[in-house]
Amino acid sequence: MPNIDEVKKRLTDKFKGDITNIDQPVNNRLFVDIKKDKVKEISNEVIAMGGRYLVSVGYDRLAEEGVLGLIHTFSLDKDSIMMALRTSTPENEPIESITPDIPNAGWSEREYMDLLGMKFKNHPKPKRLIVADDWPADVYPLRKDVPWNLMPPPAENVAYELDKCPEGCTVVPVGPYHPTLHEPAHFSVFVDGETIKGADYRGFMTHRGIEKLCQTQLTYNEIPFVAERICGICGSVHATSYSQAVEQAAGLKISRRAEYIRTIMLEIERVHSHLLWLGIAGHLIGFDTVFMQSWRVREPIMWLGERLTGNRKTYGMIVVGGVRRDITPELKEDILNVINKIEEELLVVKNAVIGDTAIHKRTKGVGRITKEETIKWSLVGPVARARGVDIDARRDNPYAAYDEMKFDVPVFDDCDVWATVLVRIIETFEAIKIIRQCLDKMPNDGPVLTEYLDPLAPGKHGLTCVEAPRGEVVHYLITGKENSPERWRVRAPTYPNLQGVPLMLLNDQFADLPIIIGSIDPCFSCTDRVDVINIKSGEVQKMNRHELEEMSRKYKK
Amino acid sequence: MWLISKIKQVLLVAKPGVVTLSYPFAPHPVPKDYRGQPYWDHHKCIGCGGCAAHCPARTIMIRDVCQELRVMMYDGSRCTYCGRCADVCPEDAITMTPLYEMATGDKNDLSETMELFMATCHRCGRCYDHETGNSIDKMRNIGYRYDSIEMRAVIPKTTEQLDLNVLKETENFKRPEKK
Amino acid sequence: MDILLIFVNIVIFLALAPLFEGVIRKLTAKVHSRQGPPVVQPYYDVLKLLGKENLVTGNLGFKMAPVIALASILTAIALIPLGFRENFLTQYADIITIIYLLTLGGVAILLGGLASRNTYGVIGASREMITMIMVEPVLAMSFIMGAVKTRSLGLDSTMYSTLGSGYSWSLALMLLVFIMALQAFVGRQPFDIAEAEQEIMEGAFIEYSGPNLGLFKLYKMLKQMFYAVLFVTIFMPFLKTGFFIADVAIQLVEVLVVIVLIAVLGSTNPRLRIDQAVKYFAVLIFLSLAAVGLSVYGI
Repeated sequence: MPNIDEVKKRLTDKFKGDITNIDQPVNNRLFVDIKKDKVKEISNEVIAMGGRYLVSVGYDRLAEEGVLGLIHTFSLDKDSIMMALRTSTPENEPIESITPDIPNAGWSEREYMDLLGMKFKNHPKPKRLIVADDWPADVYPLRKDVPWNLMPPPAENVAYELDKCPEGCTVVPVGPYHPTLHEPAHFSVFVDGETIKGADYRGFMTHRGIEKLCQTQLTYNEIPFVAERICGICGSVHATSYSQAVEQAAGLKISRRAEYIRTIMLEIERVHSHLLWLGIAGHLIGFDTVFMQSWRVREPIMWLGERLTGNRKTYGMIVVGGVRRDITPELKEDILNVINKIEEELLVVKNAVIGDTAIHKRTKGVGRITKEETIKWSLVGPVARARGVDIDARRDNPYAAYDEMKFDVPVFDDCDVWATVLVRIIETFEAIKIIRQCLDKMPNDGPVLTEYLDPLAPGKHGLTCVEAPRGEVVHYLITGKENSPERWRVRAPTYPNLQGVPLMLLNDQFADLPIIIGSIDPCFSCTDRVDVINIKSGEVQKMNRHELEEMSRKYKK
Repeated sequence: MWLISKIKQVLLVAKPGVVTLSYPFAPHPVPKDYRGQPYWDHHKCIGCGGCAAHCPARTIMIRDVCQELRVMMYDGSRCTYCGRCADVCPEDAITMTPLYEMATGDKNDLSETMELFMATCHRCGRCYDHETGNSIDKMRNIGYRYDSIEMRAVIPKTTEQLDLNVLKETENFKRPEKK
Repeated sequence: MDILLIFVNIVIFLALAPLFEGVIRKLTAKVHSRQGPPVVQPYYDVLKLLGKENLVTGNLGFKMAPVIALASILTAIALIPLGFRENFLTQYADIITIIYLLTLGGVAILLGGLASRNTYGVIGASREMITMIMVEPVLAMSFIMGAVKTRSLGLDSTMYSTLGSGYSWSLALMLLVFIMALQAFVGRQPFDIAEAEQEIMEGAFIEYSGPNLGLFKLYKMLKQMFYAVLFVTIFMPFLKTGFFIADVAIQLVEVLVVIVLIAVLGSTNPRLRIDQAVKYFAVLIFLSLAAVGLSVYGI
């Protein structure tokens, strides 16, 4: 098990001339500047050291240095190290793709082909990923010279070319609007009879341009509220992760009490999210009683959130430097009562779910992929833990007050949907345990908000992760001028997990599709946060209801 | 085994009984610190514009019609009810009310407009002083603001960076439209 | 008088089928800890759908399917002896007629699903077909057992077989099989595979709206009540008073019991996959065959 110095040594020994600089702003973060020719080799070396690929960050330095920056980030879970390999390339020079060895990097690299006009050598699937089908090919929206509110005219008759259907199969389109998905995304599923033989994904239909918006329009203090709205379920997670990234870049240490309150908010969110998921899972296998009952159990925690923060969801609690509201002794009592009641009721629901053979029938042996594939595709969260991969950002890269918490990380080797159900149920109990510990150990005084008065120096990097209910959230922040970030990259847990879905679907029944897609707890709008497009493929014409009805009738006849 | 688990389930759900509320027919109270529709008290407001500078959704517009008259407008149709404006208000002129039933056919119903008569400071010509550490001083926009109230758009430029074109741009400002 | 009874049948079914549907919804809501819709909600639903604009997206088959479905189930309803009183048509019908009429309803759904030319509609239709093929024998066996006992194919004698011969082991087995297949007959969970809203969005009904959908809804409610009445007449013929109105009332109360059973079973089970369902039905067919075999030997 190498520590951080050994990691540094191993890299410098092996790639002496290719590493220009190693930066270590805090204890467990490594920012390594490398030359662009060796990106692939060094990435593979990091993977060989036990690293797990997180996300790539591309950014525009054309005006300043005439280059496009690219950062690959990794996490060495066993050693609690997070690592970034920074490189850059002139506008027209291609860079070696790491996707052939690290399949999960596929989307990140495609993203920067679309958004920054980067070029990658040997990418296995260099197709359009993020921007709409009718987006002009030479406009790269994440470049600084493109205004944030640019709206190119829509084009007619353009469509994304989906993968070819294998011989003997029929295509079943799932989405963009489908009851399974809850949010717009398109799966083109190739079925042979009722068996799925493959799938292609075309998503990113709900871009809100949050990253571009925050980089150009908003200031550091406003972003947590927008970050929270990346996801409707795990909002605090994004706000915390962003705030931590800013704090890390600025070298700001927040008060211990604020860290404890953050931990409590995150765990409250986990309880509510897992109960929500359990309900949805029940609904997806057509078992609405589980749906209603687990949401009944969940409701008190929503009301608790309302009392703690003033809102059921999107708590608006976490800001850069701490939290907004304090937890008073009365509220402490309140939290304890609510979680005790939830624990009691959840135990009953858990026994009912675990003892139900009909649920076993629908979930056991479904969505099976092996542990090796899971590691290869860098899947995260309960999806990975249900497949024997023992990772949890709370334990591996402790943040907030998790270094003082005692909790178990459930890991199962069943490799199917049933194991994800178990993981999530057990994690809910663990979350309740953590909330109790927090309330117990929380320091009684201290400010909840630490102010940072100096202006933030530009060009500082921050890399943080937070374990969201559905996996691990990674935020990468580069500070900029004028009180707003130069680059802020968000990686929601659905981003890597969704890439593994076609693999899970393979050779399963079509009837299992909802629960398999549901088992990763997909959050498409988390994933689709990236750019400035509001236009859906060629279908934006202003028309009133009457015209629309007319059209739909004509089309069908 | 199967039968027992089913019987257990039926017994389980019988215990809590009906839990849904008859909400639209019976009122549903909210807790004390609920973040509902914000309310501006024009008696307390000093027109510092701190709320406008801190609103993440840019829903608060300010237009200085002249030296003495400042128009402030809150456009509730885009508000995210984060309560940041109430937090930063130095005079507690903004309160988050417990109102949440705000569905309406006309988004103007959610807007609030105030016309504030500003006293002039003898030193600087504006109504606030420039001592360091003053909460007002931390607000970003010093000088005149010309947000487009007609188009409901914040234009983050003030007389500090004034050139005459800004004024024109403001008057002709249009939100980008889909074609 | 006998001719009048036909209309009595149809009026009772049309008037009460939505009510029983409402009872199921209310009970399901109680199991969900919800308040649930009012019991009369299905009447409003059907009325509202019937008053809507008729959108037709397919060919003639698409338009005809709901009418055929409703007509077939109404014909079947007209034939059965409600309240142990044969009506004018009962004597002309036999069990083959009833089985064909019930199958015709399923065929109409198939027709509608295939005619809508929608991928999900086609999947729904194929699942409906599989379910139909697997469930039909169970239904047929329960009639055939009556026919074996009474040595007649006549509808009235078959349906009264239990009344005549009393309970036996074969009947008990058939009763068990019928209860296990009940959810599949009425298309509710765990066997609403052909409609599965989360996977294929109501399957064969996906393109239907307005009055056409209303007719299909009515068809499903009538079918549900029809199977409940069938169950009651074949397996629960006790408490026969001899007075027509009292008999009908008693039967309807018994139907309510069956409806409660349907609601509870439906709300405590997840939907099965089609391959799992087929295995389950195969066992049921075997058991029902065994029951018929036993009845041949008079056990």
